[in-house]
Amino acid sequence: MSTFSGLGTAASALAAARRGMDLAGQNVANQLTPGYTRQRLETSAVAPPASSTRFGPVAGQGVSVDGIARLGDAVLDARVRDTLAASGYWSARAQAAVRAEASLAEPGKNGLADQLSQLWTAWQDLSNAPDSTAAAAAVVTRGETLVARIADGYRSVAEQWSSARDAAELTVDQINAAAAEIAELNAGIREVGVAGGSANELIDRRNLLAQTVARLSGAVGTVESDGTLTLRVDGNALVSGTRARELDVTGPRSIGAGEPVVLAWREPGAPPVGVSSGELAGTLSVLAPAESGGVLAGLAASYNELASSLAATVNAQHRLGSTASGAPGGDFFAVAAGAPAALGLSVVPRGRDELAIAAPGAGALDGGNADALSGIGKRSDGPDALWSDVVSRLAVATSAESGRAARAETTAVAAAAAQQSVAGVDNDEETMSLLTYQTAYQAAARVLTAVDEALDVLINRTGLVGR
Amino acid sequence: MISRVTSQTLAQSALRNLQSGLSDLARLQNQATSQRAFAAPSDDPAAAAAALDLHAAQRRNDQYARNIGDGLTWVTTVDNAISASTSLLGRARDLTLRGANSGALDANAREAIALELETIADELLAQANTTLLGRSVFAGTAEGSAFGPDFAFAGVPGSEVRRRVADGETVRVDASGAEVFGSGEDSVFALIGSIVADLRGGADVRGRIDQIDDRMNAMLGVQGTVGARQNQIMRAKDAAADATVSLEAQRAAIEDIDTVEVLVALKSQELVYQSALAVTARVMQPTLMDFLR
Repeated sequence: MSTFSGLGTAASALAAARRGMDLAGQNVANQLTPGYTRQRLETSAVAPPASSTRFGPVAGQGVSVDGIARLGDAVLDARVRDTLAASGYWSARAQAAVRAEASLAEPGKNGLADQLSQLWTAWQDLSNAPDSTAAAAAVVTRGETLVARIADGYRSVAEQWSSARDAAELTVDQINAAAAEIAELNAGIREVGVAGGSANELIDRRNLLAQTVARLSGAVGTVESDGTLTLRVDGNALVSGTRARELDVTGPRSIGAGEPVVLAWREPGAPPVGVSSGELAGTLSVLAPAESGGVLAGLAASYNELASSLAATVNAQHRLGSTASGAPGGDFFAVAAGAPAALGLSVVPRGRDELAIAAPGAGALDGGNADALSGIGKRSDGPDALWSDVVSRLAVATSAESGRAARAETTAVAAAAAQQSVAGVDNDEETMSLLTYQTAYQAAARVLTAVDEALDVLINRTGLVGR
Repeated sequence: MISRVTSQTLAQSALRNLQSGLSDLARLQNQATSQRAFAAPSDDPAAAAAALDLHAAQRRNDQYARNIGDGLTWVTTVDNAISASTSLLGRARDLTLRGANSGALDANAREAIALELETIADELLAQANTTLLGRSVFAGTAEGSAFGPDFAFAGVPGSEVRRRVADGETVRVDASGAEVFGSGEDSVFALIGSIVADLRGGADVRGRIDQIDDRMNAMLGVQGTVGARQNQIMRAKDAAADATVSLEAQRAAIEDIDTVEVLVALKSQELVYQSALAVTARVMQPTLMDFLR
């Protein structure tokens, strides 16, 4: 045992305490940094070099700083990623449903149901005054307003579809960028790990990116033994070690195509990727064709169905009547071929002379057929009933989606809170540890002074007997 | 496991709770100011479907009220025209009776009666061609006048002008000119024409009294039917007025808020929010720093 070993012990204590204070400073400095996980100094006591000397057993050699621990929990991190993926999926769907529902403007004065009702009452007014050109003009105008409203409704759904399509592409770009950065961080973390340094800040940054990727794509992450994070989408690696792959969306760019929008790896001949959670999966399910349950394509198909049903029922009844000149009635609505029915619908008659107001043979000023036309509004298989059904179904679906989104959000918040309760920095705790390390530093300095004084006695005052 | 609580988790959960309290407050405030129980169909899908049906029913009912108003004008016009016609015909009957008293009348007196009868025939024709907003009310569904110069009825046989007064109910609002006034040779105009000719020709007109009575009975018969229809329309009017009230009550029950209920909920939610703010302000303040020197 060296004479000066006490000085060494005190020096190691001073160094450890200073490190501890530095670390408390780092924790306090980053308490609001997103993704930051609190860190703690890992120390151990240094054992004495020899078990015993001729003066008996000796004390240890001080304290050794072994490392800086990152107080995160990989299980909680994984849970946050899973719940974020579910929440992203349902919130993307719910947002689309809510927006589609708002575009209906039902029930209200601007909704389609009211426009339909107004067409039927206009026919009734015309039935009361078959000789009035004003009443006839009102029927034609009401018809045209209704046609414009149906086309507007269809267009707003088509616009929403296109913006969701753009959003899908943007999401894929975000995923690709984040995956590339995770691969780079993986490389850095592995290098630091091999060199024995602390990669805590890199891991924090990587976890934050992994959360983003999970929320967007539903990717599942695993931490490998070399410290790298592997992210898998649909069972295939998006990020593996230092390598990241890229995703790509392909498919139609407008709602009318009826083809699904497909997610695939950006590699020639790669098979499609099936995603079932994450915002991207939610957006893709919103973009799906009507027969696969896509809410937007379904609503667009409903507009087309309404336009066809309106044209078929009104035209059938209109043809049964006769015009003022006694000629049989023609079509009231025309549906242009080669376009969606909702956009191709138009009103044929221009005025009273072309409207089949009368029942055949009942006289020039009969209003029988106009009355029958106004009765279409009450039919249980008529356009009004069809539209009311569309509104109800969308309302129920939207309500269900919003409920699921809210529940998924609650779960995600709970998971994030659990993660934060382990990883978050607490000011009081850091103050305590700052205080403790400060006291430890003072004590170590006192130890140093004590050893110094003892040595002073030994060196400067020994052998001065009787002087 | 008792989860670790830090100032951060405390702040976040406080923020979350405040946010949810504020969003409840916003929802209630929206209800209270818009007076609507739901903002979108998804808030209450069943109520939204019922509201759509009720709106359509209200539109229809408003239309029926308009139809009823229009129908009443028609029926009243027809009734007035028939009343005027029966009194004219009564006067014609008196004149014919006087003309039948042939012994006491010289040619001049008979000519005076004939002239007045001609005027009555013209007036009757005018009544038969009574129009409402340009439409001849006795012509049914035909265009133009009900009776031309040859007294032929211009209407389409069997045609009726009807008004829809309820979902499954239509009422006839015109009367057939042929039934009221007769047509061609059988018409009341031709009858009076024959009486005038008889008076001028010196023939006995006693036999014509029966024909006038027959026509009078026919007119009164039609007037009775028109009166019955007027009653029917009045009943439909009452029913439509009742339906307006009951449909509005149903709509209000579904779409409108219960103001008292919402205000009480708003007030209590306000209290919850304010206490959350006060509690948060107290809890968030102290740290260990405050107590160390």
